[in-house]
This record gives sequence, C-alpha cells and structure tokens, in this order.
Amino acid sequence: MQRIIQALTGFARIATGISFGVIIIAVLVQLAGRSGLIASVVWSEELTRFALLFLTAFGVGLSYRSGNLVNVDILSEALPGRLPWALRLICAAITCGFGLALIPAAWFYVSIGVRQTAPSLGVRMDWIHAAVLVAIISLSLFAALRVIGMLTATEDGTPERLQEDH
Amino acid sequence: MGLTILLSCFLGGLAIGLPVAVTLGVSSMAYLLHEGIPLVVIPQKMYAGMDSFVLLCIPGFILAGNLMNAGGITARIVRLARALVGRMRGGLGLTNVAASMLFGGISGTAAADAASIGGMMIPGMKKAGYPADFSAAITAASSTVGPIIPPSVPMIIVGTLSGISVGKMFIAGALPGILMGVAMMVTAWIIARKKNFPRQEWQGWDELGHAFLGAFWAVAMTAFIVGGLLIGFATPTETAVVASVYAFVVGAFVYKGLKLRDVPRIVIDSAISAAAILALVGLANVFGWILVSERIPQTIANGVLSVTENPFLVILLINLVLLFVGMFMETIAALIILFAPLLALATGVGVDPLHFAVFAVLNLMIGLTTPPVGVCLFICADIGRVSLWQVTKAIAPFILTNLIVLMLVSYIPFFSTWLPSLLN
Repeated sequence: MQRIIQALTGFARIATGISFGVIIIAVLVQLAGRSGLIASVVWSEELTRFALLFLTAFGVGLSYRSGNLVNVDILSEALPGRLPWALRLICAAITCGFGLALIPAAWFYVSIGVRQTAPSLGVRMDWIHAAVLVAIISLSLFAALRVIGMLTATEDGTPERLQEDH
Repeated sequence: MGLTILLSCFLGGLAIGLPVAVTLGVSSMAYLLHEGIPLVVIPQKMYAGMDSFVLLCIPGFILAGNLMNAGGITARIVRLARALVGRMRGGLGLTNVAASMLFGGISGTAAADAASIGGMMIPGMKKAGYPADFSAAITAASSTVGPIIPPSVPMIIVGTLSGISVGKMFIAGALPGILMGVAMMVTAWIIARKKNFPRQEWQGWDELGHAFLGAFWAVAMTAFIVGGLLIGFATPTETAVVASVYAFVVGAFVYKGLKLRDVPRIVIDSAISAAAILALVGLANVFGWILVSERIPQTIANGVLSVTENPFLVILLINLVLLFVGMFMETIAALIILFAPLLALATGVGVDPLHFAVFAVLNLMIGLTTPPVGVCLFICADIGRVSLWQVTKAIAPFILTNLIVLMLVSYIPFFSTWLPSLLN
C-alpha cells in the first residue's frame, strides 16, 4: 500500500514540477521575445496557460493529501471520541465519490475538444481538456487512498504537510 | 428549491470538514442534478475558471516567496527591521510589524508571513521577556499586511474574477498596506508603554548599514515588482516568474542560503500550494456561474438599493457582510462567492471598482485573525505555545486598529486610488 502511495505521489510530483518548469521557461521566452532579445513567439502565452492547467491537474490530488486544499475543521475536529476520525473518513469518501461521479461528464468534455484546435500551438483541444479529467481522477484517487489507509489503520486521515508548510 | 439545496450542501460540507473546493463542487453538482442540467457544466466551467493567464501569477509569487525564505531572507529582514525600530519601547513588537511589511513585499500570502516571521520572532520575543500571547497576537495581526502590500494572491483572484487590472490593484494596495503597518506599530508602542515592555539598545548606524546591505536584495525585490509594473516593463504574470528567477539567483548565489538540491522540492511544493488555489478557483467558478444564473448578485444589489442608496450605509453594510463571512470562510472562497454580488452593490452607489477591491481584500484579511476560523491566529498560537483564547484576547487591540484602518480606506478613496491614478 505504502509503495503504491509513494509511486503515485512521486509520479504526480514529477508531473507537477515539469508543468511548472514549462511555465517558467515559456514566460521567460515570452519576455525575451517582447524585449527584443530573441524573435517574438506567438505560442508562449497559450503554452503557459495549458501548462498551468496541467500543474493544477497533477497537483490537486497532492494538495488534497497535504491539506493545502483547505477545509474548515474547527467544528469537526472539536467533536469527542472517534467522531473526528469518522468525519474525516466521510469527507474522504465524499471527495472520492464526487470525482468518480464526474468522470463521465469530464470524459464527454474531453471528447468535445476533438473538434477544436489550439490557435497558436495547433494541438487538438481534447489533449488540453484532458487536464480537467486528470484533475478529477487525481483528486478521487488520493481520496480513495485516504479511505483505504484509514480503513486499514495505516493512516488517521489527517494531512501530511509539505516541508514548505512546516 | 434548487438554491436551498445548493446552500444546504455548501454549509453542510463546510461543517463536516470537507475541503472548501470539494464543497463548492459537491453543492454545485447537487444543484445541477436537481435542476436537470447536464453535469458537463462542471468540467466546462472548471476549465474556464482555471484557463487564465493572470492566474499564472499565483505559482510564480508563491515560488518567489518560498525561494527567498529558503535563501535566508527572513533572518535578514528581521535584522533590518530590528535595526530600524528596535530601540523604541516594545521594539521587538515594532520589529515584528516592520518585518511583516518587508516580507509582505515578497510572499503575497498572510499565512506564509505568519509562519515565516512567527517562527523567528515569537520565540525571540518570548526570550526577550515579552508575554507569549502578545508575541503571537502581534505576529498574527501584522501578517495580514502581506496581501495588502504588493504582491497579493487575493488581488490576483479578484483580477481574474472581475477583469480589474492586477497591476493597478497591486499599486492600489501599497498605501493602505503602509497605513495598516504604521497603525499597528503605534498600537504596539502604546501597549508596550502601558505594560512597560523591554526596549532594545540602539545598535548604531554601522549595524543599520550592515543590516540594510544584508537585506538589500530582498527589499529590492519589492521595489523591482512595483517598479516593473509602474514602468510597464512586465505584466504581473511575467513579473511573478521573473521574481522567482531573481529569488533563486539571490538565494543561491548572493545569500548562498539556498541549497541547489532543495530547489526541485521547493518548486514542486510551491506548485502544489498553487494547485490548491487554482482548483478552488475552478470549482468556485461553477458555483459562481450558478449564482449568476440565479441572478443572485443583481437580486442582492437591488434588494439593498431598494432599502437605501446612501453610499455611507451601503459601504458599511458591505463591510459588515465581509467581516462576518471572513470570520468563518477561507479568503479566496469568500472572494469568489461574494465579490461579484458586492461589486454590483458597490458600483451601484458609485464606488470605484479598484477602491472596492482594495477594501474588500483588506476586510477579509482581518478575518484571518478572528476566531473561529482565523488561519493566522492558529499558526501563531501554535508557534507561541499559547491557547487560542489567550491570543484572541491579546489580538483585540490590533483588530480594533485594523478596523479603524478599514474604515479609513473604505470611506476615503484617496488611499487606494491615488497611486494607480499616477499610472494614467
């Protein structure tokens, strides 16, 4: 179980980092083009927007796991006994169910993109719309892992904070 | 009935501790199912909400702040602030506020400010003989100045929602931010005199010079961000990315505190923090679309304007609504849900959108320091090892100060519109 979590977390972190890297490079290229340092390029703005969508898509599951996807827990965590644990489990199950219920709609939205093409990059928009599908799958996957972890007593459902947040 | 379902699911989700973004999504889904509207609206509106060039500022400024912090900037900023104001009565309290103002020019989020400055200042103040509750309270209160002084993540969100220029909003926040900082310093000084808090020795011009040189590259980043926007060298988005590169160069090669092997982790952690905000924006866009479809903004605006068209009363009402909501709700979610309805109301009585944006953000920042859901209050109480109740009592004078500043900024447009008018 821990190996699966580590593998998924590692993959999502790398994909999120690559998306951010693409954003940084594309914006610097854009700025260099506008400053006259290099020939101006038309695709940089589109590429940065699309990379931002994939940054969100790959990062949202991780942000759920780390607690960066904020919640209001003052009431739920103040309850006695096992109730906070039970509410954390219910919330993880709802999050997972929300994602799963949306997959058909997200798939339909992706398929709409087949008929469109990005104006400057020239890529088919279903590849870009897929960011929403990835986001939903990522969220439900990490929520499912929390549910399993809580039911198998390998975790208590509280967030695993990022080092930057300590 | 549809609206009742929407709001019940929303409040229920918040109450059980569901993430705010998921709560917005689940309640929107319940509404759509009830109304028989296809669920494809959710991915469609999520995509539309997140597909914005302006939102690129968010990961950029978060990364710049994290890189600067890892590069050892916090200690340098605290040293400069201490050399500037440390010799006054309650000098470390004033140092705390000054450090938050300087740090606010880098990070753009109050929680980052509270954690970074608090981690260094609260233990230091306790060691120097300041009460733990005062140390935690002043850190929490002053951290809220961060998103008022540019850059500001909440202002980027407002720009995305309303089309108001993010660059102009950044500039508009500068004066109110300084006003807030100075007012909190005065409050800290009055409390320090009354309670006879310690005074640091004047460390001399040499120390001030060294401290300034030490923090120069960090302080220059704020000047670089504001200056870049003022002269039109770069858009806010480009400024955010260039600021990250600048923070990397300063942290790794000038301050030499940033280890190259830590950079990938910092980049990814910053991206994850940004992803949480962007997902919230995407799902809130679905929720916001439902509110607009149900004509909620117009209904609220018309309802209030039918009772009174007195600008004084309408601004007061807007502030009371934002203060109340800010006590319970996360800043960005509150902005996404309430900004459009309240903007319609504010412009209905002739308030400039830029002016409204500044006092709305300032207002919600106060909510970060009030119970029951005051993020900065929680962070500082935790660092100071004091109870939430003790910090809540100690922060009361600072909340009062911020409320006075809020009233000044709300009723005197000059504070938020003068600097942007120079851009024209």
